[in-house]
Amino acid sequence: MARERSARTGWLLVLPALALLCALTLYPVGYGIWISFFDKHSFFPGERFVAAANYLAVFADEEFWRAVRLGLVYSISTIALQLGLGVGAALLLNEALPGRNVLRAIVVFPYVIPTVVAVIIWKWLLNSQFGLVNYALETARLVDEPISWMGRDWIMVSLILVSVWQFFPFVVIAVLARLQTIPPELYEAATVDGASAFRRFLHVTLPQLASVLFVVVLLRSIWMFTKFDTPWLLIQGGGAETYIRTLPIYTYMRAFAYYEAGRGSAMAVVMFLMLVVAAALYFRLWRREESL
Amino acid sequence: MTRALRLGGWRGALLLAGVAALLFFTAFPFAWMIATAFKAPREIFVSPPTFFPSELTLENVSRLFAQTRFATYLANSVLVASGTVALTLAIATPGAYSLTRFRYRGRETISATILFVYMFAPIMIIIPFYVLMRTLGLANTHLGLVLAYTTFCLPFALWLLRTFFQSIPLELEEAALTDGASRAQSVRYVVLPLALPGVVATGIFTFILAWNDYIFARVLISADELKTLPVGIADLYNASVVDWGMIMSAGMLVLLPVLAVFVVVQRYMVAGWGSGGIKG
Repeated sequence: MARERSARTGWLLVLPALALLCALTLYPVGYGIWISFFDKHSFFPGERFVAAANYLAVFADEEFWRAVRLGLVYSISTIALQLGLGVGAALLLNEALPGRNVLRAIVVFPYVIPTVVAVIIWKWLLNSQFGLVNYALETARLVDEPISWMGRDWIMVSLILVSVWQFFPFVVIAVLARLQTIPPELYEAATVDGASAFRRFLHVTLPQLASVLFVVVLLRSIWMFTKFDTPWLLIQGGGAETYIRTLPIYTYMRAFAYYEAGRGSAMAVVMFLMLVVAAALYFRLWRREESL
Repeated sequence: MTRALRLGGWRGALLLAGVAALLFFTAFPFAWMIATAFKAPREIFVSPPTFFPSELTLENVSRLFAQTRFATYLANSVLVASGTVALTLAIATPGAYSLTRFRYRGRETISATILFVYMFAPIMIIIPFYVLMRTLGLANTHLGLVLAYTTFCLPFALWLLRTFFQSIPLELEEAALTDGASRAQSVRYVVLPLALPGVVATGIFTFILAWNDYIFARVLISADELKTLPVGIADLYNASVVDWGMIMSAGMLVLLPVLAVFVVVQRYMVAGWGSGGIKG
């Protein structure tokens, strides 16, 4: 009886959280799937059932496939760079350096700032006329004329640079946390066995990091593939916006520039399904690796 | 246990070079923003560029407050972020307590759902969410914005607090209950004091998420007097000729509250607790 009453108290305590999650996240997700089958204006009421027409239009749209390609280029390159830089930085910051905690805090800081600040800082550094980066490159005689970082040839590179700067600290945080729990005995044993620093990293550190890297790659993939604000804010006022129009940007434009809520939702659903399929493949691949 | 570092030798030199490069990459952009914010407009564009302003000036900051609605955006951001923290904590704290201390059917399903929703990105729900808010008459209101932020703060707040409550030994509560305390009393006098650092840290992470958001504020708010800082600054940048001194001082000022609260929670972040403390 006491158990039943306590179960009821438990339910009552979690109920507000559950209600809010259902009302504000799960319901919109369901509603989004629903309106993806309708022709619906983003502002005006009223809708018309069109069955799969939105999806067919999406798949027939060249611009959609281009957005998918650009999104893949963006997410794969930023994730690779974030991983490399993040793991390297975490290894460095795990050493017994003087002022280590302050160093760690500084390195993590770009991750907690508003994206708009990250973007304006880099737009200023990469300004083609007065930017410090071009000045440094020209002074070092690495380039003859200023690079147009926001122009069509370079805007993807600029976007990748800003994104890596902003998001690699996530990898640092996760990896550093794991490094601190690796038992020192493992290293001592390896050292006694005469393993070099590189071999210690390969055979002691890396296997220990495998599980955390698995989660990091999963989360970063989801969040980079759906990243909206960094490319969107970088796009503004450049004239090269179509060169970084990734899938989230194009989805947003469909809904809030062309006012096609139905078709925009269909694109969001497709984006979601792509992630689900990718995640399923990823999990399978991982399991095969594990069993080897 | 830390291995002692010998700063001599090639290994030490390599290490120091790596740290210096890392520090330069992360910190220099901030330093350049601050330096620019304090320079007089004509010094900003000189060639060769100077790093330290030849004379420190607050011209840019005062122009920011005089010529733009920065003060209004600031007040809006403070209001919306605080509202989000209050609502999220009020709902997530009892929820997380329930998930760690009570047994009932569906508990594991709820936890799994929370983790699943945590991985959602705003772009995946923004369209239906906007239509929903319009139908409810909450588009273009701060309440609508607080609700939007709560959707993506709640899952991670529940998750963090759950981890935190799990770290508080059950025996302490049981001892209080055995001594004749009621459930409410044991929560009030035993659990909450121990959980307080976790609740504060979760509140700070929530504040940062709400403070930083761009997409929900962009979509939900159209009236200029209701805009928050990220949207206000983005519009300032897009206005016409970019006033770099003013923009850099705006960026600097937006970072001050983030920096202040970050100092409190950074040790949690690098210690691993709450490594998922923030998403983005």
